[in-house]
Amino acid sequence: MSSAREQRLAATFVTLADTLVAEFDVLDFLTLLTERAVELLDVSAAGVMLSDQRGGWRPTATSSEHAELVHLFASQTRGGPCQDAAHTGAPVASPDLNAEADRWPDFVHAATHAGYHAAYAIPMRLREQTIGSLTLLNNRTTPVDQDSAALGQALADVATIGLLQHRAVHRQETLSEQLQAALHWRTVVEQAKGTLAEAGNLDMHQAYTLLRNYAHHNHRPLSQLAHDLATGQHTPDQLLTHHHRPDTHETQPPKTP
Amino acid sequence: MHEQRRRQLEELLAADAEHGPRMSRICACLVAELAVTGAGATVLTHLNDGDGHDPGRGLVHSSNEVSAGLEDLQLTVGEGPCLDTFNSGGPVLIADLAAETSRWPAFTREALELGAAAVFSFPMQVGVVRLGSLDCYRDAAGPLTQAQVADALILAELATHAVMSELDGHDTDDVSWLADSHAEVHQATGMVAVQLAASTETALMRLRGYAYTNQVPLAEVARQVVARTLRFSPDQP
Repeated sequence: MSSAREQRLAATFVTLADTLVAEFDVLDFLTLLTERAVELLDVSAAGVMLSDQRGGWRPTATSSEHAELVHLFASQTRGGPCQDAAHTGAPVASPDLNAEADRWPDFVHAATHAGYHAAYAIPMRLREQTIGSLTLLNNRTTPVDQDSAALGQALADVATIGLLQHRAVHRQETLSEQLQAALHWRTVVEQAKGTLAEAGNLDMHQAYTLLRNYAHHNHRPLSQLAHDLATGQHTPDQLLTHHHRPDTHETQPPKTP
Repeated sequence: MHEQRRRQLEELLAADAEHGPRMSRICACLVAELAVTGAGATVLTHLNDGDGHDPGRGLVHSSNEVSAGLEDLQLTVGEGPCLDTFNSGGPVLIADLAAETSRWPAFTREALELGAAAVFSFPMQVGVVRLGSLDCYRDAAGPLTQAQVADALILAELATHAVMSELDGHDTDDVSWLADSHAEVHQATGMVAVQLAASTETALMRLRGYAYTNQVPLAEVARQVVARTLRFSPDQP
């Protein structure tokens, strides 16, 4: 392991444990977990699903907000490695997804369509409580190696502890309250992404990146900024003009409806 | 699992169809399934106009007088679990109300006097679109079980759908759009709000109206909006 990677890894563990800051935001935090998993574990994409407190699991954060990846995690609500890992509390390795078409037809179809051929799902749990799972995806049929699997579990564990610790200190809310609130704020973020996408002619990934960058730049919780956009207290123009636009194609003509 | 339980609860509500308005039946169902002493709902009778301020006082349904009193009390003193659900975005589950005097001093004092020992509030909302809340109480302290929380969340989802249908008059059986896997519905709502220069509430109503009029599932209408093959204009009715 290179020393640059070791330093990055150490910094990631500190960041994931540091949930007691004023602008802490659950969705932002889980997005960071997926981004760092991709960067450090040599995988192509990652996503988090959280318990919906009704016996199901809902996609909550992905390493990119491109439609195909988001759709892939949404398709998992009807069965997939991420759901199985969350249900059983044990990791699920699928080095060749094509071989799993009978087990998870919707998920495998969506995965191969999006170009992913291997998956490794890690439960997010603390002692007996499983709150969700972190799934790693590869665009090659390469199994996730043992070191990456162990490191992935460590990242998931420290993120879970960070979340539960934030809840315990921030306010005495129950786990049900916290997880359900996260799903609500995910809806608010989707509404805010829509306003930015329309006003700036951005795709949903660009809209989410802009939202997050602006929140970080201004030290505001992502969910609160999303709320202000979706209620019209903050205009999309303020974000589009006062912040550099993330990898947008400024010269590209507007798509015709 | 979730789907199966939702169908069971829907059947329970349908079997009870002769007993009053849907929201009252949902309150009765909460009392039966959650083993709570009473349940009430405050439903906003109109949506806000997008300025971010709270809409006016709502319509109250309740299963008994204590529940009615608790709904009134929160509106009178301006604090309590039901108002907190909107800020946190999730339910507010208070197993022992007597321990919460510092959180809501006025509400707690009077709620205990009314006879509530535990209170549980579940928001009815679609992102920033606030529709009301479902509120339960028990006359003895103690938490809800995981299964009872799950039932309450499903009933809050059904109630959210019922309130939307009542507000815009488009009564459909399609409640699937409330599930988070349909992120495109919420993205499309944001896009249409900008297209119409209107509030998120108005945009959601327009999307639902279009789906209803054209007999297309809301998720499909949303997909077209996000794909930019369908646009809404302020000039259209």
